[in-house]
Amino acid sequence: MHGRNASNGEAIALRGISKAFGSVTVLKDTELTVNKSEFLTLLGPSGSGKTTLLNLISGAIAPSSGEILLAGRDITRMPPRERGIGMVFQNYALMPHMTVFENVAYPLRARREPSEAIRRKVLDALDRVGLNGFDDRKPRQLSGGQQQRVGIARCIVYSPAIIMMDEPLGALDKNLREQMQTEIKRLHHELGTTIIYVTHDQEEALNMSDRICLMKNGEIAQLGTPDELYFRPNSRFVAEFIGESNLLPGKSIAANSVAIDEAEAVIAPSSERGLGSDVLVMVRPEKMHICAPDADPPAGHNVLRGVVEAISFIGGMTRITVKTAHGVSVTAKIISGPACTRPELGSAAKLSWSPTESVVLNG
Amino acid sequence: MNRSIDLKVQSLFMSPAALVAAGIILPPLCYVLITSFQGDTGPLSAYKLIVESSLFRQTLATTLGVASISSVLSLILGYIVALHLARQHPNRRTVLMVLILLPFWTSILVKCFAFTIILGRHGIINNLLSWASGFDVQLPLVLNRVGLFVGMTNFLVPLVVLPVLASLLAIDSTLYRAASVMGAKPARMFWTVTVPLSVPGVVAGLLSVFVMSLGAFVIPALLGGPQDQMLSNLVDFYNRQVLDWPKASAISVILLALASIFIVPMALWRRRKI
Amino acid sequence: MANSVLDPLSRRYRFVGSSLATVVYIFLLAPVVVTIPMAFGPTNALEFPPSTYSLDLFRILFTSDSWLLPLYTSLKVAIFSTCAALFVGLPSAYWIARYEFLGKLLISGVLISPLVIPAIVSGLGIYLYFAYIRIGGTTLSLVLGHVMVTLPYVIVMIIAGVQKLDRNLEFGAELMGANPIRMFFTVVIPELVPSLISAAFFAFLLSFDEVIISWFLTGSDTVTLPVKMYSALEWEVSPVIAAVSALLTALSLLACIVTIGLRKSSGEEVS
Repeated sequence: MHGRNASNGEAIALRGISKAFGSVTVLKDTELTVNKSEFLTLLGPSGSGKTTLLNLISGAIAPSSGEILLAGRDITRMPPRERGIGMVFQNYALMPHMTVFENVAYPLRARREPSEAIRRKVLDALDRVGLNGFDDRKPRQLSGGQQQRVGIARCIVYSPAIIMMDEPLGALDKNLREQMQTEIKRLHHELGTTIIYVTHDQEEALNMSDRICLMKNGEIAQLGTPDELYFRPNSRFVAEFIGESNLLPGKSIAANSVAIDEAEAVIAPSSERGLGSDVLVMVRPEKMHICAPDADPPAGHNVLRGVVEAISFIGGMTRITVKTAHGVSVTAKIISGPACTRPELGSAAKLSWSPTESVVLNG
Repeated sequence: MNRSIDLKVQSLFMSPAALVAAGIILPPLCYVLITSFQGDTGPLSAYKLIVESSLFRQTLATTLGVASISSVLSLILGYIVALHLARQHPNRRTVLMVLILLPFWTSILVKCFAFTIILGRHGIINNLLSWASGFDVQLPLVLNRVGLFVGMTNFLVPLVVLPVLASLLAIDSTLYRAASVMGAKPARMFWTVTVPLSVPGVVAGLLSVFVMSLGAFVIPALLGGPQDQMLSNLVDFYNRQVLDWPKASAISVILLALASIFIVPMALWRRRKI
Repeated sequence: MANSVLDPLSRRYRFVGSSLATVVYIFLLAPVVVTIPMAFGPTNALEFPPSTYSLDLFRILFTSDSWLLPLYTSLKVAIFSTCAALFVGLPSAYWIARYEFLGKLLISGVLISPLVIPAIVSGLGIYLYFAYIRIGGTTLSLVLGHVMVTLPYVIVMIIAGVQKLDRNLEFGAELMGANPIRMFFTVVIPELVPSLISAAFFAFLLSFDEVIISWFLTGSDTVTLPVKMYSALEWEVSPVIAAVSALLTALSLLACIVTIGLRKSSGEEVS
């Protein structure tokens, strides 16, 4: 999958797009290019501007400045119906008075296609989403998952250049959501359509996307592959929003070393920040190793000592929080074992991690 | 949404309404206004004669008095009913709503006719009282102030119930549970939770009912006595008996101005709620 | 609330509240109910309860021209004005509910104004206006006058209906390539059917019961049923009025039940 986003042309490009409602700016000057056949996720907390971005592309709202290019063509002022974009809504937005067949046929009828072509395409689309034989039902006779399949079929049936999905799985329960994620990925693979997907669920974004565009306060915080966002976050916000993270405050004291709490120096990848500047060393909890105070950590590891402050057993993983002598809490996430294998609350412990597993961020 | 509106489509959707607004709704108001300035001796003569006439002054006083009292009466009765409806299970409430909506949808003429039967000298009430007391009771209950208030209140109550009920139903029921857990007795709960939170509905209901009653015409004509005629009836009198349209129009303008004093806050109140 | 433990105090309050409410219900319903038995009473006296029962009053109502013609006029006017109010109200209510545009406040204010302007003012004005353009006393003038009265209700009811619709349905249809007209006919109108039916019933009833505007607009051969009834009540109270009342009440009951049924079937709270 990840090889497919290589430059086979741009599907949509936003050039200096911004949006303000009165004096409130909901989207600051934004540049964004989505490649053909790419699965791009707009991720962010509510109010971050991801839905605004989606609405601008669909034409639900007009931008305050900038232009939108669809396959190189300026569509900034084009009415939604001429853009040839498909959309899947969180609440499905199926016509309750129409059957499944009529719902899926709607875009084709609007395009005045001949009825036998409509029939063939609709049945094919329903087949693709696994809804064979449901064509006579009304939407309210279907489950949430089935309704959203109709919503997807209604999009793929007219082969739009881009399909946008606005939290399409938001109304479904967890198990169904995971199953539908797999199906949407499969459809994307089969059809090769460009998909712009909006969600606030980071796991969903990591699982499905070629690239993730993480938004914050009307700006792009970071744009990159799931790997880049997870392993190379560019800011504290990204590190905290995606996955769990330990953020150790410190001062840069040499090209590749950071003093944490002005006490213990740790080795960190070299940063371009000036000596003496405040930085944060980010380490993912699952990259933290924990061992007894008298054991030796792997060679070359950074080491912190402290006292076990909290233990939470959360199923497959166990989270152990250690408080260092200088009052910094650090969490390690280890694969769970029976209670006897865990350190005891209040006992001394040693934490260690490989310098390559840490990222230096601005403090 | 502030996407650019297709003006061609807009004109298609809005032009019939614009035509009705400009061709049917606005001209009558203009005609009333213009006619009111066409008195015999100068543009303001009709107003002058009207304001100086004791008939008008007396009618104005009656109108304000009747409108105020019947609004308050209907608020009290309407609140009782709204409170009762708000406490019912939704299914039962739907059934009971028929008892409010049916009178609301019933012709005002039917009600006036019925009240002449119920309240007349040989009507149901007097017959019941005669039967109960053994005397021939003939209380004058209609074609006077009593009949007018009974008719007005009956007409207005459903108009109060609907907004008050809406605001009562909007009260979060956990507030009641919280108040009672904290030890509030029913009476305290009523005065500290129910009443303050139903104020929006009460204000909306009271304003609309008052405006409605200012313009009452049929009820004073059919259930009130000669002393109980209101401004609307005076307009009709000048229009139909005296054939003096400038005066009829001048009274209409005054009535409209009077109503506007309350229509404007009512409109603002509604907008605020939205 | 329904399942909570009731202490004796709140039980007492509740009893008092229910009793008072019952009295008000009776007060509200009495005038509606009283006329029904009287409609089946004798032709020579107005009495309650009637001493004899018959269908004579209805026979007079449906055979004498002096009642039949107004009934026919009222039906005609109500049907035409309801259709016209829907034709004008549906597209404008949709547009007002969905879009912001220049002059929106002005035009919606004017369209809604007959709701709050005293009917006598509108009545006198429309009488003066129609006399000037020489259509006073015609059926057309009645229809136009009734459109003025019913349109605000139709618009308010349809706006309420539109506001309950899912905007994504309309936007989705547009995104899938439907033009605004096609979208309106294939998405909005089918979705609005319950609101349209209640608005139509209400407009019909409002027009059929309308007195004050008609009082100014009827000519000698276009007397409507309520105007006929109003003059009858003013001058000589005839027992036939009981039959007319029963007829009007039955109509109101029908409209009332249809409306509640529609709201109930679309699963919303009646209020």
